[in-house]
Amino acid sequence: MVRPLAARAGALLLTLWLVSALVFLAGQVLPGDVGRVMLGPFADAQAVAELNRKLGTDQPILQQYWHWFSRAIAGDFGDSLSMRAPVAPFVLSSIKNSAALAGVVLLFLVPIGIGAGVVAGLRSGSLADRLIVLTGVSLSIVPDFVSGLLLLMVFGLWLAWFPISGAAPDGAGFWTSSYHLILPALPLVLNLIGYVARMTRAGVIEARGADYTRTAILKGLSPAQVLFKHVLRNALVPTVAVIATQSGFLLGGLVVIEALFGIQGLGNLVLSAAKARDFPMLEAGVLVMAAIFVSTAAIGDLLQALLDPRQRRRNAP
Amino acid sequence: MTKRSDIDLLRNQSGDIWNVAVDEYAQGFLKRRDLLKYAALLGLTGFAASQGLFTGAARAATTGGTVRVGLGQPTKAIDPVTITDPASIGVISQVGEYLILDDPKDGLQPKLAVSWEADETAKRWTFKLRPGVKFHDGRTVTAKDVVASFERLVDPASGSSALSAYKGILSKGGAKVVDDETVAFDLDQSNSNFPFYVSSDVYNAVIVPADYAGDFEKTFNGTGPFKLESFRPKQGASFVRNPDYWGDKALPDRVEIKFFDDEQAQVLALQAGQLDVIPSTTRLELAIEGNPNFKLLSVQASSHDPAHLRTDQAPFTDKRVRRALALTIDREAVVKGLLKGRAIVGNDTPFAPIFPSADPAVPQRKQDIAEAKRLLGEAGVPNGFEVTLTTERAYDIPDYAVIIQNFAKKAGIDIKLNVLPQDAYYGSATFGSSPWLDSNLGITDFGHRGTPDIFLNATLKSSGAWNAAHFNNPAYDALLLEYGKARDLQAQRLAAGKIQTLLLDETPLIISYFSQYSRIVSSKVEGVRFTAISHLLLDKVSFV
Repeated sequence: MVRPLAARAGALLLTLWLVSALVFLAGQVLPGDVGRVMLGPFADAQAVAELNRKLGTDQPILQQYWHWFSRAIAGDFGDSLSMRAPVAPFVLSSIKNSAALAGVVLLFLVPIGIGAGVVAGLRSGSLADRLIVLTGVSLSIVPDFVSGLLLLMVFGLWLAWFPISGAAPDGAGFWTSSYHLILPALPLVLNLIGYVARMTRAGVIEARGADYTRTAILKGLSPAQVLFKHVLRNALVPTVAVIATQSGFLLGGLVVIEALFGIQGLGNLVLSAAKARDFPMLEAGVLVMAAIFVSTAAIGDLLQALLDPRQRRRNAP
Repeated sequence: MTKRSDIDLLRNQSGDIWNVAVDEYAQGFLKRRDLLKYAALLGLTGFAASQGLFTGAARAATTGGTVRVGLGQPTKAIDPVTITDPASIGVISQVGEYLILDDPKDGLQPKLAVSWEADETAKRWTFKLRPGVKFHDGRTVTAKDVVASFERLVDPASGSSALSAYKGILSKGGAKVVDDETVAFDLDQSNSNFPFYVSSDVYNAVIVPADYAGDFEKTFNGTGPFKLESFRPKQGASFVRNPDYWGDKALPDRVEIKFFDDEQAQVLALQAGQLDVIPSTTRLELAIEGNPNFKLLSVQASSHDPAHLRTDQAPFTDKRVRRALALTIDREAVVKGLLKGRAIVGNDTPFAPIFPSADPAVPQRKQDIAEAKRLLGEAGVPNGFEVTLTTERAYDIPDYAVIIQNFAKKAGIDIKLNVLPQDAYYGSATFGSSPWLDSNLGITDFGHRGTPDIFLNATLKSSGAWNAAHFNNPAYDALLLEYGKARDLQAQRLAAGKIQTLLLDETPLIISYFSQYSRIVSSKVEGVRFTAISHLLLDKVSFV
C-alpha cells in the first residue's frame, strides 16, 4: 500500500510543478504587461515602466519564474500584485468559501442523485425510470447561468425565500452561512443530478443481473440485505468515481455561479487574478485547484478500492 | 433679462478678465450658469456663494439610516494614488476629498481650498486652504500634506495613475508650501484651466497626510464626511458619519458598500430591496424601465466614444474621404436610438457643449449622403471602398459600430467589424503593439473630464500619447498653444472656434455624441449626488 501512495505523491508534485510552469508561460502570451494592466491603458508609459521595475516584472521570464519558484518551495507564495497583500489569506478564504458551496451541493446531490438512480435501476423500463432519466437529462442540458438566474428571480426575488447573495454577512453562524448557499447550490445540483442518477442506475442494473446477486437471492437473503450488501456496494463504484471528479469541478470551476451570487470562491479568485495579470495570486489559485483535482481523483480511487474487493487485492503489496 | 443694477454688482469683483465675462453675460452671450462656473474658475468663490449658487435649496431632511450601495469589483487594492476604476472611485469618495469638487451641476466648488488665483501668465497658481480641517486620525491638514499629495502624483516612481493627466502641466517640485494655509503651483506652461487639475476631475488628487505610506485600505484616512468602519477586500466596505467633519455633517449614519462581479446580481439585489444605489448600464436601465420603485439619475458628461481615422494610411489620407464617412452618420438617430436620448449630439471635436470654452457658433455637422458621395467621387473612390473597423467589447460601443457600418453603406463604404475584448483592444497601449493606436479605423471609450485639454493634447496633438488618428497637423498644434495661453473666456472661445473649424475640415475623429452618466437609485432615497467620473456623494442622502 505504501509504494503506490509514494508514486501518487510523486506524480502529484510533478503535476503541480508542470502546472506552475505552464501558468507562468501562458501568462506571457496574454496581451499587455503587468504594469500596463494595473495602471490602465491611459497611464503614462514612464509610470508603467517604473511600476514593472518595482514589481520585478521587467526581469527575464526564467528569472521571474525562479524567483517565484524558490520562494514557493519554501511555502511563501509572495504578495498579490493587485491587492498588495500576501496571497495566502486570499487563497485560504476562497478555498473555505468554495468548500462550503461544494459541501452544500453534495449534501443535496448525493442522496437525491443516488436515490433516484437506485429507484430507476430497480424499476428499469417503468414509468418512474423513464421520468427520472428524462428529467435528469433535461436538467443537465440547462446551463448553470440560466438556471441560476431563473432560480434567483423566482426564489430570491418573487418568493423571497432565500437571500439573493451567496455571501452571508460578517460574523454569520454556520446555519446562516449554509442558508445563504442553498440558492447558489441549486443550479449545480440540478445540473449534475441527472448524471449521478444515470451512473447509479447503470450500476444497479448491471449488479442486479450479476451472478453474485442471483447467488445472494438463492441463498435466501432478505431483499434489503441483497440490495444493500450486494447490489449497491457494487453498483456505486462508478458513481463514487464520478462524484469525486465532480467535487474537483465544484471546488474550482464555478466562475459563473460565484460571480452571479457574489461568492468569493476559487474560480472567482483565479479569474480575477488572470484578468489582473496577478501572477502570485494566479499561481497559488491554480496550484490549489490542481491539487484539489488530483487529490479528489485519488480519494475516488481509494473509495472505489474500499467498495470493490477485487481492486483491494490488486493493490495489495 | 438681467437688470442693469445686477450687472453693476457683478463688476469690479476681480480684474479685466472677469469684467469681460460680465460683459458677455450682459449681452446674453454667456448663460448665468456659465458665468458662475467661470467665477469659480477664477477663484471668485465668495461671489458665487453670495449668488446662492453653492447652497442648493435647503430641505429639512431626515437624518439617520444606512445607505446601501452596490458597486463593481475594484480591480486592485484601493489607493488614491493608483486607482483607475469606477468602483474604487466610488469607495474613495466616501472618505477622501479634493481641494475643489467639480460638481456636474454647479462647476468648481471649494472644498479643502477656499479660494485660488493665478498670476498674469497663468503659470503660477496660489490656493488658500480651508483652516482647521482634520484628517480622520485627528491631525490637522496643512499645506505640507497638500504639497506632498501632489508631489506623489507627479512622481513617476510612485506608480501614480495621474501622471498622464499632469504631463506637460505639473512636474516634480512644482507644488510648493507658501505658509501653513497656502500652496502655490508653478506650472510647466501657462494653463488657465489649472483649477480643474487639482479638482475631483483628477480623481487621484485626494488630499492624504504627508506621511501617507500607500496603505490606504488599512485606515481610509481622509477628511471626508464619512470614516471607515470596516473594509473587506473583494467583499465590501462600511463607513460611518464623521462627527468631526468640517462642513455640514453627513445625514446618514452609515454607508454600506457591497462589491459585485456581476451586474445582473446587482440589479436583482436592488429589486429585492437590498440595495439603494447601483451603477447603471443600458441593459440595467431596461430592467427597471417603467418601475416606480426606482429612478434613473443622470448628469451630462463629456464622455465620448471617438472613432479615429488613420490620417496617415489609405483610404483616410485624403480628408475628403474622412469627411465623407463623417457625413454618413445621423447623429440625432444615434442619440435617440442607441443612447435612449441620454446624450447630446457631438460635432467631431472634443469640445463638448458643456465646456464654457466651446464655441457654440460653429455649425453642426449633419447627415448628408449626397455630399458624402460627391466627396468620395472627388477623392477618386466614387464607388466607395472597403475598410475594417476595430473596436472593443465595452458599453454600447459594439452596437455603435454596427450603426456606423449601416450608415456608411449608404455611401458605398463597406465596413468590416473586428470587435475585440477590451484588454486585447488596448494591447500594450503603445504605438506598434496596440490595436487601439494602430488600427486604420477604430472606436475608443473616453471617460469624462472637466476640461477638453487632455483630449485636445493626448488624442490630437502630433506628439500625443493617445493619437490613434496619427493626426500630424502643425496648424492644429499652433492653435492648441494659443488655446492654452488664452486667459479670458472670449480668447479661449476664439481659439476653440478655430480648432473646431479646423477639426471639422480635417476630420481625424468622428464624435457623434457626448453621453450622460447615470446611476439607478431606489425611490426611497433622496439626495444621491455623483460626478460623471463615478464619485458618489452620499452625505446629503435621506430616506423618504
